[in-house]
Amino acid sequence: MISLETISEQLGTTDPWVENRGAYWLAATELNVRDVARAMNAVQARFVTITAYQLPDEDGFRLEYHWDLDGRLLGFSFPVSGNSIDSIYDLCEGVDWIEREVHEGFNVDFLGREYEPLLLREGDTPGVNLREVSK
Amino acid sequence: MSYKIPMGPYHPALEEPYKLDLICEGETVCDAKLHIGFNFRGIEHLAESRNYIQVIALMERVCGICSNIHTLTLCQAMEKLTGQTPPPRALYIRVVMAELERLHSHVLWAGIAAKLMGFKTMFMTCFELREKVMDVLQAISGNRVNYSMNKIGGVNRDIDDPQAVLKMVEALEAEMVRTVIPIFTTSSTARSRCAGIGVLTHEKALSCSVVGPTARASGVAQDLRRAAPYAAYAEMEFDTPVQQDGDVRARLMVRALEIMESCRILRQALAKMPPGELDTGDVKLVFATGTATSRVEAPRGEVMYSVSWKENSRTPRRVHVRTPTFANMPAIRWMVLGARLADTPLIQASIDPCYSCTDR
Repeated sequence: MISLETISEQLGTTDPWVENRGAYWLAATELNVRDVARAMNAVQARFVTITAYQLPDEDGFRLEYHWDLDGRLLGFSFPVSGNSIDSIYDLCEGVDWIEREVHEGFNVDFLGREYEPLLLREGDTPGVNLREVSK
Repeated sequence: MSYKIPMGPYHPALEEPYKLDLICEGETVCDAKLHIGFNFRGIEHLAESRNYIQVIALMERVCGICSNIHTLTLCQAMEKLTGQTPPPRALYIRVVMAELERLHSHVLWAGIAAKLMGFKTMFMTCFELREKVMDVLQAISGNRVNYSMNKIGGVNRDIDDPQAVLKMVEALEAEMVRTVIPIFTTSSTARSRCAGIGVLTHEKALSCSVVGPTARASGVAQDLRRAAPYAAYAEMEFDTPVQQDGDVRARLMVRALEIMESCRILRQALAKMPPGELDTGDVKLVFATGTATSRVEAPRGEVMYSVSWKENSRTPRRVHVRTPTFANMPAIRWMVLGARLADTPLIQASIDPCYSCTDR
């Protein structure tokens, strides 16, 4: 079984992993999502999902990425500044639909990729924050 | 010259609405595009306005087949936020319900696959078997679709008559061994419609991050019941069927063998079920601030819930659901490449898709 420290080494961080309510979180602050995706590919972790959180007081969004490594759920949290974050679609094919869903449901833009036709629909416009529409 | 054939969103081969645009040259499929969203109900957003009792009833309605799995996963996540540990008997009842649901889901799928193969007799046989499982689920819970079995810290109902469940398990197992598995594995009709059709290679299964029987049929031996045991699965002995071919037949075989393993798990759970309480008995629950995740091996593969709560709030801040079909459906594009047009209904059905789950 691959140790979590191996991943830390690949990411160049000495910050600890914290097990919290079902997932192991790497609490490092200066991680880049594409570096994390490369590290996950290197240890053959399986991509699970992205969970988007809209922060209060117009503070933007937070995205939590999850991968499975031998039954352990690994979590990485990224703040989204200015409504955009790098796409990892070219590194991880399984991320395609959830990036599209987050884009269409929260208007978060994943840089460096093109979007196929809509999964979710608000008229014919892609990239609408459906939570704002529903208010 | 290539041409586009739209399949769906309403089509006899689809159990629920979605759309598959097939780009064909002659009878051969060269590319495909999938369109979902026809069942989008905004359930995740709706959950943010429901309290911790209402949200269980709401999430039970994400899926009409694996409704119990959704409440189980949600309750497990909420138990992490409230510090509840269900008593042992409740954990065993959760295993029994989860395996009964797997049985009825897999047998239902086998029937639909038989229908799409043009094997109507087998369709009737499978649905007769499924009906027996449904009867047991109804006897336990009083319901046939939304069982309302799970609550935070335990289960709502006991299993009063384990012998009835055992009797059904024996009948189902005997019929599977006598009829269903031999016909699916040896009949020339089944073989010609399934073998070598709709192949998802091992490499593609890994890169698409597919889950459940779809992954196991492509040689990816992942099963959360083993890798990250929940409820009472750590105390059960069972095998994880894996096939290497990645075709429709492999997916069919994995599910058929999983039916046998579910029967094995059910026998153990019913025999070893400890006496005791059904829940923790705590009436007033206090939620901690933060996020909890929970994963369960549903009939179609891994379900994951992320539940975020703020202390003293009656409603969740966020409930995110990642369903197995959401992970598996994009792989259909690769399965139908190079396939005959006439095989595409069966190929898309071979992942046992659930579009209600996918769209939420």
